[in-house]
Amino acid sequence: MPSLTIDGREVSVADGTMVIQAAETLGIFIPRYCYHPALSIAGNCRICLVEVERIPKLQIACNTPVSEGMVVHTKSAMAEDGRRAVLEFLLANHPLDCPVCDQSGECDLQDYYMNFGLYNPRFREHKVKKQKAVELGPHVMLDQERCILCSRCVRFTDEITKTGEFGIFNRGDRAELGLYPGDVLDNPYSANVVDICPVGALTEKDFRFKARVWYLSSAPTLCNGCSQGCNVDLHYVLDRPHLNDGARVARIKPRYNPDVNQWWLCDEGRYGFEWLDKERLTKVRGPSQRSTDPQTHGPTDSQTQTSWDQALQTISAALAGSDHEQGSPRIGVIASAQLTCEELFLIRQIFRDALGAQVTASVPEEPGSSDDFLIKADKNPNTLGATLLGLAGPDAPAAAQIVDAAIDGNLEALWVFGHDLVELFGEEKVRQLSEKVSLFVYSGTNENPTVPLAHWVLPSAAYVEKDGTFVNCHGRVQRIGRAFGPIGDSREDWRFLLELAGKLGLSFDGSGPEGIFRGLAEHVTAFEGLSYDTIGTQGVALRTESVGL
Amino acid sequence: MTPALDAKANEILLRYEQPKAAMLPLLWLVQENQGYVSAEAEAWVGRMLGVARSHVREAVSFYNMFHTKPVGRRELRVCTSLPCLLRGAGELMDRIRETLKIGPGETTPGGEVLLTEVECLCACEIAPMAQLDERYVGPLEGPSVDSIIRDSLTQPGRPESTPEPEPYLSTDGPVLSTHFKDPGGTWLDDYLTDDGYVAARKVLTSMTPQDVIDEVTSANLRGLGGAGFPAGRKWSFVPKETDKPKYLVVNADEGEPGTFKDRYILERDPHALLEGMLIAAFAIGSHKAYVYIRGEYFRSAKRLQRAIDEATGKGWLGQDIQGTGFDLDVVIHRGAGAYICGEETALLTSLEGGKGFPRLKPPFPAISGLFQCPTIVNNVETLACVPFILRNGAEHFARIGTERQGGTRLFCVCGHVVRPGVYEEPVSITLRELIEKAGGVRDGNRLKAVIPGGISAKILAADEIDVAMDFDSLKAAGTMAGSGGVIVMDETTSMVQALDSAARFFADESCGQCSPCREGTGWVHRILRRIIDGQGSLRDLDELLAIAGDMEGNTICVFADAAAWPVQSYITKFRDEFEEYIRSGRSTEQKETAECPA
Ligand SMILES: Cc1cc2nc3c(=O)[nH]c(=O)nc-3n(C[C@H](O)[C@H](O)[C@H](O)COP(=O)(O)O)c2cc1C
Ligand code: SF4
Ligand code: FES
Repeated sequence: MPSLTIDGREVSVADGTMVIQAAETLGIFIPRYCYHPALSIAGNCRICLVEVERIPKLQIACNTPVSEGMVVHTKSAMAEDGRRAVLEFLLANHPLDCPVCDQSGECDLQDYYMNFGLYNPRFREHKVKKQKAVELGPHVMLDQERCILCSRCVRFTDEITKTGEFGIFNRGDRAELGLYPGDVLDNPYSANVVDICPVGALTEKDFRFKARVWYLSSAPTLCNGCSQGCNVDLHYVLDRPHLNDGARVARIKPRYNPDVNQWWLCDEGRYGFEWLDKERLTKVRGPSQRSTDPQTHGPTDSQTQTSWDQALQTISAALAGSDHEQGSPRIGVIASAQLTCEELFLIRQIFRDALGAQVTASVPEEPGSSDDFLIKADKNPNTLGATLLGLAGPDAPAAAQIVDAAIDGNLEALWVFGHDLVELFGEEKVRQLSEKVSLFVYSGTNENPTVPLAHWVLPSAAYVEKDGTFVNCHGRVQRIGRAFGPIGDSREDWRFLLELAGKLGLSFDGSGPEGIFRGLAEHVTAFEGLSYDTIGTQGVALRTESVGL
Repeated sequence: MTPALDAKANEILLRYEQPKAAMLPLLWLVQENQGYVSAEAEAWVGRMLGVARSHVREAVSFYNMFHTKPVGRRELRVCTSLPCLLRGAGELMDRIRETLKIGPGETTPGGEVLLTEVECLCACEIAPMAQLDERYVGPLEGPSVDSIIRDSLTQPGRPESTPEPEPYLSTDGPVLSTHFKDPGGTWLDDYLTDDGYVAARKVLTSMTPQDVIDEVTSANLRGLGGAGFPAGRKWSFVPKETDKPKYLVVNADEGEPGTFKDRYILERDPHALLEGMLIAAFAIGSHKAYVYIRGEYFRSAKRLQRAIDEATGKGWLGQDIQGTGFDLDVVIHRGAGAYICGEETALLTSLEGGKGFPRLKPPFPAISGLFQCPTIVNNVETLACVPFILRNGAEHFARIGTERQGGTRLFCVCGHVVRPGVYEEPVSITLRELIEKAGGVRDGNRLKAVIPGGISAKILAADEIDVAMDFDSLKAAGTMAGSGGVIVMDETTSMVQALDSAARFFADESCGQCSPCREGTGWVHRILRRIIDGQGSLRDLDELLAIAGDMEGNTICVFADAAAWPVQSYITKFRDEFEEYIRSGRSTEQKETAECPA
């Protein structure tokens, strides 16, 4: 553990640590373009120059290993002049098209110029012309003129995805970033290169010209795209409907978590957010008169708008009336591994334990694509949470059993959380079951073919509109964070479940997800001793034996 | 891509420890067979090497000698770097363009010849010069210009009319030039008769590696590639306790404008190099050596290969050399047109199949070099001195030179001297004496300036030439001995044009990875172009100095420093001329006052 002094402050770090990292432990930020902790060291941008006593030349902090007694100055006149010089070189051929650049506002050229540059530009020659607005693939745009050739993206596709799409062709100031002519950048992690690009050379096609970044707000949450539970920041805009085509969610960026996704995110997760603003269920609907379709002579379910209070009142009365003393359960609940642990806990307590319902979150879904990096075949973010609560896995009934029971007339009430039963079991079965049961509640976030067949439709808040926890496939419990409130009349599942419980005369900690989690931690051993505070922003690994891993 | 090519490629792959290292040889193979590197060929190379096509394209685009489209049946490369420029390359290029009616980068309409403008081909002794396919020709003045144009339009293989160059060359040693007499080269039988491989036999049979290192150290042999690092000391850095293979890599990428010595060793005395390599390999415990030869040196590579085959045939290379149990395999690796590959770590990256990007140091190659193994990189001339040292003793060699640098050097004298050529002289010779040996300044003109060690060295004014040519003396004089390339400029030289030419060289040849070098070299050159075009302003001079200062000392390799030094030294030493040029918008025939040394 050599100790060294950086800007007058002493620090001890592990052998082999580079000065740039050692400085970070002191909260001293040394600017960098080519350096990225996930990638091999290129040392080409030269912006991280620092002065090291007893070495005449400036050294690059990203490739200077610490040594005992080393004295580093990051803000000396010499170091600052070195950085000024490098910035001036980098900006010499830069097009300075910030007004039309999406990176503007989060650009390391702009930021470092303001923090470390502020020189009087001297470059008066013609700039080297290169290609602009090149579409590299489904997600990424390239502007060669803005590129500072730091090679982060090249190293990303060489070292992380090992797909090798990028190259820097030619040499000298003719060097340019690109793909092999005719190639497409479409590996499953392609958009990460946009995040690691320190300038506006690689930008997101999806986000192109949608909003200036300074209008965006950010909230930490998780990706719900699969059971890996990658940590993300949700970038959204609420008060400027003219931006971002009126949608709230503008983009998703990976949030660093060394134990889950490091710096990365797959494209599917990154761009799977359209449903948050599209075809949402925003109104509570209940049954009106049942009619017969004049064309098909079959029944159609027509629903009319109603209120939460009315709906919950009627539903709770129906649930309370269904008698389960006589042997087999009369209520079936198909819950979902898309729900939070808190919500699943409420479902378990209310339906399984108080009402004696058959409850499952085991739904026969086709496994999705997967790889040996982040992408998992299980596209639910909380399968393990559901399993720990006994709602999925070997002890839980299969969803098909419940559906069959309903069709066979063995159920009085069926509640489906978010699943499109039509897709899973076919329209015919769902129609039959809808006819058979006297109470068919659908709660969920978006329209789907099952929705019109339900008797009651309760609009749910999306996961970014609520708090709660998911347990990822590696047994890590992590918090999602509410970015903004539920759309329209929709409500968080935990909220209406608590209201329902109240109407059923059951009592829970009513303060919200955090309080529900306290109850959960008391009841379920895997969560014992945990709280929102201990989970924090990076999550906590559940004790593996309790998770059964 | 034919099965024959596949077979050939597989054979090439066997020479290398890692498949990717066969990148340049496979690209050469394709280009030799198909005339250019097609997209299909790039994909094939990628498949053969297990490398993404993008990385094959990176290499193809980095090295100047690969074509990506069909080109002329022949290629005429005309050098317009500073040493050739000083001797009329500008006019030569104009005449060729007018006669062929094409510009650089273009092929004659009948497909006969592609005209290429190139940076220094390191044949400044025959300036102004050109290369027709594989053959060097020059000086191209008077009737030889017509004959080279005629030759370039004839079918390859037909008799050619341009005569073989006959530049001045030392031939009587004492160390390096004793076998230079025969333009056809000195081959094994003659080499053996003249005490060839005597030193190697002595080393292999009666010395330990440490003995050899000690001997070379006390001979004060300095690296003659440019940096002057003591050779014995460098060899001693190779870790002894390691399971990794060790490599000896010979730097035959001669590229420094004004330098043309290694080519003569490779072509006229290749066994001296091989014997030196054998001794060095023994000293560092290496059994595999690579010789990285610049791509344009076709003939040098062929001749060295012939020598390798001879030596292998007679048991001086290969397994169990002369029954001593020592093994050494030598593989020639050809570059493809990139000056930066002369920088030793760029050379290693290039050898490994990448673009010629210099590497971050540490680690130094002696610890982790080729394929991450301990590697010694030495210049051709450095190694060619080694047999002499082991044959005649360190003391003899040391005595020839100065206190801290033993031996002689092959000084390359070019530019405005009466007799450009290769002069083997003790390193204690002064620059003035050296210029005198070369016949003094041409046409009775007055000396204006000299670059003493290749274009990267700081320029000396006419009154600064009473300096010895060893590393330490030139360093003390504020410049460097570098590669031993002496570029002489007389009073007719425009310093503005000279600097513009040097700046173009550095802008062309920067590998482009470090921001200060990539942007700085281009920036400097564009300012100089503007000045040349009569659009300069006086403040440009201070800005040039400031940019040069910003480039210096802040990059991965010292190329950026080398690019800065000419700017700094030309402008500081000849500021009046620069100012005059800017004021009048053109060159003035400014006379210097120094004595003509002749
Ligand atoms: C830009 C640059 C170009 C160089 N070109 C050459 C070259 O063409 N030939 C050479 O032998 N050394 C060249 N060198 C020096 C090598 O890096 C290295 O020092 C040398 O090959 C070591 O061999 P030596 O110790 O025998 O001189 C160059 C260095 C730099 C920085
Ligand atoms: S200094 Fe220039 S030539 Fe050397 S590594 Fe950097 S960019 Fe390449
Ligand atoms: S961050 Fe250190 S050189 Fe780029």
